[in-house]
Amino acid sequence: MDEFLEKIKENIIEGRVDSQDEGFDGTKAGQPGVTELVQEAVNKKISPVDILTKCLNPGMEEVGSLYEKGEYLTPDMLASAECVKAAMKLLDPLLVNENIQNKGKIIMATVQGDLHDIGKNIVSTLLRGSGYEVLDLGTDVSVGKIVETVKETKARLVGLSALLTSTMGRMEDVVEKLKKEGLRKNVKVLIGGAPISMEFADKIGADFYCTDAFDAINKLEA
Amino acid sequence: MPRGLKIKKQSFLTEAECRIVHEGSCRLLEETGVELTNPKALNLFKEGGAIQKGNRIKMSRDMINRAVEKTAKNFIMKAKDPENELILDTKSPRVHFGTGGQALYVLRKENGMFKKKEAVTQDLVDILRICEKLDHVDFITRPVEPDVPDEEMDLEKTRLFLAHTTKHMNLANLIIEDCLPDIIEKVGDRSSISFISCVAVSPLNLVSPTVEKFIRIVSEDIPVAISSCPQAGLTAPLSEVGEIIQVNAEILSAVVLANLVRPGAKVLYRGIPITSNLHLDVSPRWCQPESIRRIALISDITYFYGIPCCGTAAVSDEKKPTSQALSEKVLGWIFEAASGAQFINSALGMLEQVMTVSPEQYIIDDMGISLVKKYLSMHPGADLKETGREVVFKALETFDVKTTREMEKEIANRIEFIYSPKEEYSPDYINNQVDHIVNAVSSAKSSSKFLKDSRKGLRKGWLYMGKRIEGAMNLKEVLKTKDGILGMRLRGT
Ligand code: B12
Repeated sequence: MDEFLEKIKENIIEGRVDSQDEGFDGTKAGQPGVTELVQEAVNKKISPVDILTKCLNPGMEEVGSLYEKGEYLTPDMLASAECVKAAMKLLDPLLVNENIQNKGKIIMATVQGDLHDIGKNIVSTLLRGSGYEVLDLGTDVSVGKIVETVKETKARLVGLSALLTSTMGRMEDVVEKLKKEGLRKNVKVLIGGAPISMEFADKIGADFYCTDAFDAINKLEA
Repeated sequence: MPRGLKIKKQSFLTEAECRIVHEGSCRLLEETGVELTNPKALNLFKEGGAIQKGNRIKMSRDMINRAVEKTAKNFIMKAKDPENELILDTKSPRVHFGTGGQALYVLRKENGMFKKKEAVTQDLVDILRICEKLDHVDFITRPVEPDVPDEEMDLEKTRLFLAHTTKHMNLANLIIEDCLPDIIEKVGDRSSISFISCVAVSPLNLVSPTVEKFIRIVSEDIPVAISSCPQAGLTAPLSEVGEIIQVNAEILSAVVLANLVRPGAKVLYRGIPITSNLHLDVSPRWCQPESIRRIALISDITYFYGIPCCGTAAVSDEKKPTSQALSEKVLGWIFEAASGAQFINSALGMLEQVMTVSPEQYIIDDMGISLVKKYLSMHPGADLKETGREVVFKALETFDVKTTREMEKEIANRIEFIYSPKEEYSPDYINNQVDHIVNAVSSAKSSSKFLKDSRKGLRKGWLYMGKRIEGAMNLKEVLKTKDGILGMRLRGT
């Protein structure tokens, strides 16, 4: 069985989400990837906690250290994060029974009027990879929709992205509306994007300004 | 004499290669088409014979070819001073250099130190005044926006342009569509202005409300650059071939739309197939050799169609005026100019990619461009392996940078990289790339697919990794020139 878990871990490190993936050397298409392997593990009634602690977590740790050493590049890390996301989709319902919770829900959105989503998508993927449940609302998302989603899902984290000076103001609107609806004290607001700064975050009363996904993870875990 | 540098165009792609790129792009537009939800644009496309499938619109090769044929092949971009007119024509190409935008910050030299500040209206005025005096700035793309509310932006920008420049006014971004008639009334002659429209969001998506503004601008017979600027590995394949097919398809779809709005539309082809920093923070790589190469290849495609090219060059990552920035900028200009892009906008005067402008950098860049022009007219059609290095060195020496053997090697490496194809332009490979794009576009998250596919190319060294050019620049003359131009305002007159 350990060999089987080891295989899941290896596939996470290699970033093979499913059997379609050819892998690094281009020869692995057709062989089961993380999705198939985790499904098999679930069918075999292997403990989801074991999968989490023996495959996903150490797998991502290894990926992190390969990245630090410069052997892994950003797409490699993101591919592994995608694998964790695929695995968590299968494991989440089971982990709830085990009384183990993920690190929490975070709503991610690019604010109204803004279509830039490259940065937001990367942050979403990495947050998922490090164990957050991400609800990505997409781009051009209205203040109302964001606040509604906070209400509906009871998420305690909201990540906002804006790349245009003309749309930065919508972030302040979100903070204000959260206050108005009496939700502000339950929610931490993270903001990011090229024109955003610490001063701006302070000015509008956001909790964190993040330069990138790692910064966000550090600040959330501090 | 009209503005612009007459050049002998250098090509990277053969006509046959351009043709198979065209074929690949047509296949994309026929099979997958572009995502489009704007009702006005959808109606135009459908009336013109395109087919709607869900939220995508597909168009035939025939429709595309007809649109390319109809598109204006030459036109004049006028200016307040007739001496500043620009003639765009691929048959008898002239290269023009202009500024770019839109920066958020300005670097101000205070007490001998560069300080970064938020750009405001006064910065726009200063830059317009500086550029009015610089001989090698042929036209002005709005560098920073005035700090007025959005509702006032379009007209205030127009007013400031009219007051401070006699060169062609590329207003770049139309904020409020209904302001267009007032802008036209203000400028008098509509051919003295132009816009840039980022209608295409990669991969293959024509976005509202940009597309609606685009339709309006075209219907008013105002020249507009159709922009597509993916980041390879994120919003397009990392492959040069794949990215170019995709950019071309995106722009062609807008060319079709433009001609449905107004047959014979005056559009510029603004394809910017850059890469992204997949080693680190996935930020755009604009000035790195692989991107300089890709941008030059796009110029070949525009010549294949005979549509005027809005080029891009000189977008450096550097945050201050440095020799590294100068080396990147000059190399970008020489390749883009030699490849015959007629309306080169972007980063004249800019730093930190396109986030910051610097009054000093405008003056430095004007000098850089003057050298590029001098060398290209002295050695028309010359191999840039030699000329490129010479110009970069000459530029560095102009600012008293001590050049070394190591620098020489680095510049030679960059040029070598620009000249070396990494992939083949064969029908099979093109089809393979089209399949990749179709596959990515049809999946829920195209960026994951592109990222994943990029892992192999990265390991084959498709992103250039080199060294910085280090060496202190002497900016004494630059500061003097700047004070000469802006001094009057500083003294309060
Ligand atoms: C790519 C790009 C585009 C693409 C967007 C594609 C896409 N799918 O996103 C296209 C071509 C469509 C585009 C369009 C436009 N763009 Co644009 N674009 C850019 C560009 C070059 C890069 C942005 C990017 O993707 N960077 C890479 C990512 C990874 O970085 P990032 O977004 O900053 O995100 C990182 C961090 O900031 C942080 N982060 C970001 N968000 C969040 C959120 C949270 C919660 C956290 C924790 C962290 C975080 O983490 C990320 C990962 O490290 C920037 C210039 C620049 N260098 O920023 C201009 C820029 C943002 N665009 C600009 C402009 C003007 C426009 C247009 C208006 C142009 C036009 N004339 O039509 C349109 C606007 C469309 C719209 N309504 O939104 C300007 C904005 C200027 C201003 N004053 O506001 C910029 C700055 C360029 C410039 N100087 O002119 N653009």
